[in-house]
Amino acid sequence: MLIGSNSGPQKIFQKSLFTMSSYDLRLKDLDQVLESEVIDLSKLREFCFNGIPDVKGYRSLCWRLLLNYLPCDRNKWDEQLDHHRKLYQQWLDEILVTPGSFDNEECDHPLSEDPNSKWNTFFKDNQALTQIDKDVRRLHPELSFFQQATDYPLSNVVYSSGTKRLNRRVGMHFLNSANVVRKGLGIVKITPKAEQTSTSEFKPLEEGSEAHWEVVERILFVYCKLNPGQGYVQGMNEIIGPIYYCFATDPIIKMKEHAEADCFFVFTNLMSEIRDFFIKTLDETDTGIVNMMRKVTERLKENDPVVQSYLVKNEIYPQYYSFRWLTLLLSQEFSLPEVLRIWDSLFSDSQRFSFLIDICCAMIVLIRDQILAGDFSTIVKLLQNYPNVETRVILNKAAELSVKNRDEESSGI
Amino acid sequence: MAKKTYDLLFKLLLIGDSGVGKTCILFRFSDDAFTTTFISTIGIDFKIKTVELQGKKIKLQIWDTAGQERFHTITTSYYRGAMGIMLVYDITNEKSFENIVKWLRNINEHANEDVEKMILGNKCDMDDKRVVSKSRGEGIAREHNISFLETSAKANINIEKAFTDLTLSILNKTPGREPTDVPEKINIDRKSDRLSNRCC
Ligand SMILES: Nc1nc2c(ncn2[C@@H]2O[C@H](COP(=O)(O)OP(=O)(O)OP(=O)(O)O)[C@@H](O)[C@H]2O)c(=O)[nH]1
Ligand SMILES: [Mg+2]
Repeated sequence: MLIGSNSGPQKIFQKSLFTMSSYDLRLKDLDQVLESEVIDLSKLREFCFNGIPDVKGYRSLCWRLLLNYLPCDRNKWDEQLDHHRKLYQQWLDEILVTPGSFDNEECDHPLSEDPNSKWNTFFKDNQALTQIDKDVRRLHPELSFFQQATDYPLSNVVYSSGTKRLNRRVGMHFLNSANVVRKGLGIVKITPKAEQTSTSEFKPLEEGSEAHWEVVERILFVYCKLNPGQGYVQGMNEIIGPIYYCFATDPIIKMKEHAEADCFFVFTNLMSEIRDFFIKTLDETDTGIVNMMRKVTERLKENDPVVQSYLVKNEIYPQYYSFRWLTLLLSQEFSLPEVLRIWDSLFSDSQRFSFLIDICCAMIVLIRDQILAGDFSTIVKLLQNYPNVETRVILNKAAELSVKNRDEESSGI
Repeated sequence: MAKKTYDLLFKLLLIGDSGVGKTCILFRFSDDAFTTTFISTIGIDFKIKTVELQGKKIKLQIWDTAGQERFHTITTSYYRGAMGIMLVYDITNEKSFENIVKWLRNINEHANEDVEKMILGNKCDMDDKRVVSKSRGEGIAREHNISFLETSAKANINIEKAFTDLTLSILNKTPGREPTDVPEKINIDRKSDRLSNRCC
């Protein structure tokens, strides 16, 4: 059920104990799957579930496929990519304008009370930007990657004397006289005053270059503008981070140079599946986070009732740990390379995100002895700072649980 | 349950807008360090520190909450069990100061009536970027009869004092309270706790 009917995940994981030559064989397998004119998605899932090789840009290509950005029909790839990259560019052109830069806007001005005033929207957007900015500056600070310059900066942004950098707009929530100069008759121009409230190392780069975190900031802002009902919620930075990292480090240059646009679409597709985790009013619905936490508890109860009741007895509620695990697809619990590996399996799950539940359950079961020996604070600490357990071990355990779960379901238990 | 190595257990809570420095304050206090390598808090985080005051060993169980509105259903459920609450704003951020009133309202709605409160104006090392004067901070604290400190997690100003002061004010009104009076688990406010999905 999870991946093709004749091969359970358990079998696949056993296959992963490969030697060097079988590694080459594996690459050949993957090439074969990817080379066919119309890619067999279930074969691809079956392969990727076991981990995508960290070479030749396989991961970035497979994620594009698994998250339905690229169609299975290879003949359609060029057109699809071209179309979407142009579309993204068009959105950027529309979204990244500062009011006042149009000539025909003389009746619009920063003090306008017209709700359709571009200025009004501008100031409102800046509030969302403020939150995005705080979060992208706190994205994987343990890596230097996000603070480094991208090879593909957006030229009209980086050669604007700073005026088009989104982080310049942070803090400009309302009209601040110092920000606005009048140019001649009625035409108002905004000159953003750099307001740097963060002390972090995440500094915007010099004229002509921009850091990866600035690119991520722009993608999130575009997403936020195009999904006004939802807006930006903290944690989305942790979802986009690994995708962007994967695309922006692609060894295939002709993919890497489009990391920004492609990341936008893949992130959007992924968000469409997990959006409900981020919306407070949907907490209690079927697809909301409360129900997901309940599923983890239930799965744990089926597999390790002793630990589950010990947690209940000690009043260790799921919102102390599985809330974050689930909302962020575990991206804050493990290091980035481990997250990439875990996401290979998550994205290969045709019943997303059933395998995520299995992983969460496995994580608890694997440290059951420590849990059972602990009191309230040690357990909460343990679950909030998950100990060093090898990803392979966790995934194997999760696969084992998912097989068991599936067998029990089919035999009607 | 493990053997008790403390005389009293106090539960403290940190609240305030996103980015004001709650996690940094807690980290400075618990690990005596400041790094810029912080990630945003999603949901609720937890640290323990044992302090010795007036000859008593006091275990502080400190909950660090996420600032953004999305997480309020989760975080407000912890107010009830808290004995002390620190409200944090950022002296370089006007909005975070204005929102102190909103956070106070939340406390009134969800916390115990006798909870000890304290307002912290954080990032006071950044005087050149200051937009909220110290007297405005003192003003709002006086108005609500709450103690007030300006702090810096980065420069380690008043962090220790903030926690000590808050702990002392809890200690001083709980004479002779034995640890057994205080279950170690935090009491979640059942009414408002829509997320406490206790299974079966
Ligand atoms: N200059 C200065 N910067 C600080 C201080 N405290 C925190 N910061 C900076 O402010 C940023 C946000 O701090 P956090 O502690 O993550 O903020 P928070 O209140 O926990 O935010 P949420 O988790 O989103 O609710 C960090 O990047 C720190 O570098 C301080 O005392 N001085
Ligand atoms: Mg925090």
